[in-house]
Amino acid sequence: MIRALKNRVRVGAALVALAGLVSSGVSAQAAAAPGVTKDTITLGMTSAQSGAASPGYNKVGPAMRAYFDYINEKGGVYGRKIVLKLEDDKYVPTNAVNKVNKLILRDKVFALVGNLGTATHTAALKKTPIIKQGVPDLFVNTGYSGFAAPKKYPTTFMYLPSYIMEAKIMAKYIKDKFPGKKVGILYQDDDFGKDGLAGFKAAGLTFVAGGTQKYASLSQATVGLTAQLTALKTSGAEVIILFGVTSATAVAMRTAAALGYGTTWGPQFILGSVGADPTTLLTLAGATTAEARAATLRSLTGALSLSFLPAATDTEDEYVKKFIEINTAYNKGVAWDNNVLVGMNQAMLVVQALRAAGQNPTRASLVSALKSKGGTFASAAYSKLDSANNVGFTGYWVGKYNSTGVIAPVDGGKPVVYTTDSSTANGDVATSTFVRPAMPADGVPTNS
Amino acid sequence: MHVVHKPSTGKRITLALFIALILFVASNFVDEYRIFQGAQVAAYLVGIISIVLLTGFSGQITLGQGAFMAVGAYSAAIVVQEFALPIWLTFFIAVIAAALFGAIIGISAGRLSGPYLAGATLAFAVGIPALANAIPILGGEQGLSFDIGFAPGKYADTVSPYKWLFWICALCAIIAVVIAVNLTSSGMGREWRAVRAHETAAALSGINPARSKVLAFTVSSGFAGLAGVSFSATVGLVSPSGFTLSLSFLLLTGAILGGISHISGALGGAFIIVIIPTIFEAWTEEASLGVATYLPGIIVSALLLLSIALAPEGPSEALHKLRHRGHRKP
Repeated sequence: MIRALKNRVRVGAALVALAGLVSSGVSAQAAAAPGVTKDTITLGMTSAQSGAASPGYNKVGPAMRAYFDYINEKGGVYGRKIVLKLEDDKYVPTNAVNKVNKLILRDKVFALVGNLGTATHTAALKKTPIIKQGVPDLFVNTGYSGFAAPKKYPTTFMYLPSYIMEAKIMAKYIKDKFPGKKVGILYQDDDFGKDGLAGFKAAGLTFVAGGTQKYASLSQATVGLTAQLTALKTSGAEVIILFGVTSATAVAMRTAAALGYGTTWGPQFILGSVGADPTTLLTLAGATTAEARAATLRSLTGALSLSFLPAATDTEDEYVKKFIEINTAYNKGVAWDNNVLVGMNQAMLVVQALRAAGQNPTRASLVSALKSKGGTFASAAYSKLDSANNVGFTGYWVGKYNSTGVIAPVDGGKPVVYTTDSSTANGDVATSTFVRPAMPADGVPTNS
Repeated sequence: MHVVHKPSTGKRITLALFIALILFVASNFVDEYRIFQGAQVAAYLVGIISIVLLTGFSGQITLGQGAFMAVGAYSAAIVVQEFALPIWLTFFIAVIAAALFGAIIGISAGRLSGPYLAGATLAFAVGIPALANAIPILGGEQGLSFDIGFAPGKYADTVSPYKWLFWICALCAIIAVVIAVNLTSSGMGREWRAVRAHETAAALSGINPARSKVLAFTVSSGFAGLAGVSFSATVGLVSPSGFTLSLSFLLLTGAILGGISHISGALGGAFIIVIIPTIFEAWTEEASLGVATYLPGIIVSALLLLSIALAPEGPSEALHKLRHRGHRKP
C-alpha cells in the first residue's frame, strides 16, 4: 500500500512539473479576441429573469435578443451574427457572481451587455474577472452612480442616468412645483436607494419627520409595505416619492389604495424611473385580482414619474414606431412596454458600439470606441450618452399618468428635458438643449 | 458480521495529502470555470458533512444548517471588517463562533426531537438571514464584503484568483473530511450512533444522551461555520440572500442523495447539487429561459422524491446494502 502510494506520489510530482510547463506555454500564446469568430460575436447578460424583483425587468433581455435577431437578419455586424447568452440571477448578488463567472470563464463572451441590478453587479465586479480580463461591461442597467468610475471599473459603462441625477432633477421639480409641501420617501435599502438619497440631499430636499421609509430589496414580495405606507401617511407627507423596483412600487400603490388613497388620503406620488413602468405595475396587480388592478390604477392616476426615453405609448416617435415593429416580428407574444423599449434601445447602442470597434474588434477597441464615439450614437433617449466618462444618459423629463395608466409630459406638448451631473456637491439642474440624432434608416445602424 | 477494514489516522492523513496533491495538479489542467465549480463543491461538501454528522450519526434532524453557515460567515466577515484580522484566522473564528452558537442552540434543542427539532432549526434558517437584515453592522440586504484576495507574495500574479480560491476551499474540505472521518470512527462517533439507534439502551450502557446530542450539535455547527466561510469566499460576499432557506434544503438534499450516514456520501451529494444545474442549464440553453431557470430545481427535487420512494436511506445507502448482500451470497 505504502509503496503504491510512493509510486503515485512520484507520478503526481511528474504531473506537477508537466503542469508548470503547460501553463507557462499557454501564457506565452497571443490570444484572439474571446467570443469573436468569423461568423459570430457572443455577448453575455445576467438579469432578474425570475424571482420577486423580476417582473418587467425580465423583458429587457429578450427584447435585446429580439433586436439582435433583427440585425442578424439584416447582415449582422460586419457580417458577424450577434449571439446573446442570457442568464438569470434572480436579483441575488451571489447568483450574479456565479452567472458572470460562467459567462466569462465558460461561455467566453466577448463583452457583457445590460447586466441589471446595483447590488448584483457590485458583487460581480468584485468577484469575477471583469476588470482583470478587461471584459467590456456595457450599459449596466442601473442608475447607481458608483459604476461610472473609470479608474476603478475601466471597462464598465452605465446606461441609465444615475440615481443621483434623477434625485436632483426630481428635487428641483418638487421645490419648484410643490413649494412648502411636506415630502416623504420610500426607498430600497441598498446602494440603489442610498444613491438616490445622496442626490436628494445634494439638492437640499428635506423630508418630513417620519417620512423617510425603506424596505429590504428582496422582501417586497413577501413582507408587504403596509408599515412603511402607514408611517408615511401618519407623517403627513403631501408629496411621496417611491424610489424602488417595479414590484415594490406595485405593492406600495396597492397598499396606498387600501389606506384610503383617492378617497380620504391624497398625497402626490412621484415614482422613480426604474420602478414606474405602468404595464408591469398593472399586470402585477391584475395577476392577483381585478380589484387590485383597479386600486393600482387609482393610485397611479395623477402620479408623476421621470423618464429618459420617450413614453412607450408615444407611437408617433420614430424610434418607438420602429421598435414596436421589431417587437411584433421578432419578440412574438411579448406585450410592448417601457421595458421592451429600454432593451431595444440598449441593443441598438450595443450594435453601434460593436460597429465603432471596427472590422476586427478586440475588447480594448470596443472600450475605446465607446469612450470616444458613444456620445454620437443614435438612441431614443432625449439626452446625451456621456460614455466618455463611463456615464449613461444625462437627462429626464417629467410625466404624469392619466386614468388609463398612460404617461405624457406633465405640461402637455413636447417633453421638457432637465439635465445635471452625478456630483453631490451641488444640486444644479438645467434645461437640456440636446438634439436627438435621427433613427438610422430601417432601424439598422451604419456607423463606423 | 462483516468486518470493515479501518485505516489508521496516519494512513488517512497520508491519503488526504495524496488527494490534496492530485487536486493541486488537476487544478493546473482544467479551465477556470471548472476550478470555480470545484471550489463550490468543496464548500458544499463541508456543509453536507455537517448535516451527515448531525442527522446521519447523531440522529438529530436539521432543516436549518444554512443558519449556522451564516453565523460562521458573518463572524468571519465582521472580524475582517472591524478588526482587519488576516483572512486565514477568520476561518478558525468562523468555526469557533458557529460551534459556540451551535452549543447554545444544542442545549435547548436537546429537549426536542424529530419533527419538533426540525421545526426549531427551520425557524433559525428563516430567522437568521432576516436578523442580518435588521442589524446595521451586518450590512443589511447587500451584506458584507468577504474577499480572500490573491495568492501571497510573488504568486499573486502567476496564480489565478480561482486557483487560489479552489486551493483554500479544497484544503478546508480535506481537513474537514479527515476530522469528520476520525470523529465518526472514534468513541464519540460510536456514542452518537448508539444514541441515534436507541437512546434508552445507550443511556443504560453509560452514555449521557443529552450530552452526546449537544456535543454533536456543537461539532456539526462548527463544520457548518467552516462551510459558511468557504461558501462566502467563493462569492466574495456575506449577505442574507446567500443563506436562504433554499440553501439549507439544498444541502439536506445533497446529504440525502449522497447518503446521509456516510462521510464519503457527502462528496457525491456536493457534486450532484453543483453539477446537475450546470448540466441541465447547458441542455436548456436554447430553450426558453423559464425552463432553464426552474429545471435544475425540479430535477434535484425529483431525484429527492425518487430517492425517498425507492431508497429511503439514500441511494448510496441502498447501493451499499446491495453490495453487502452480494458478499453474503455464496
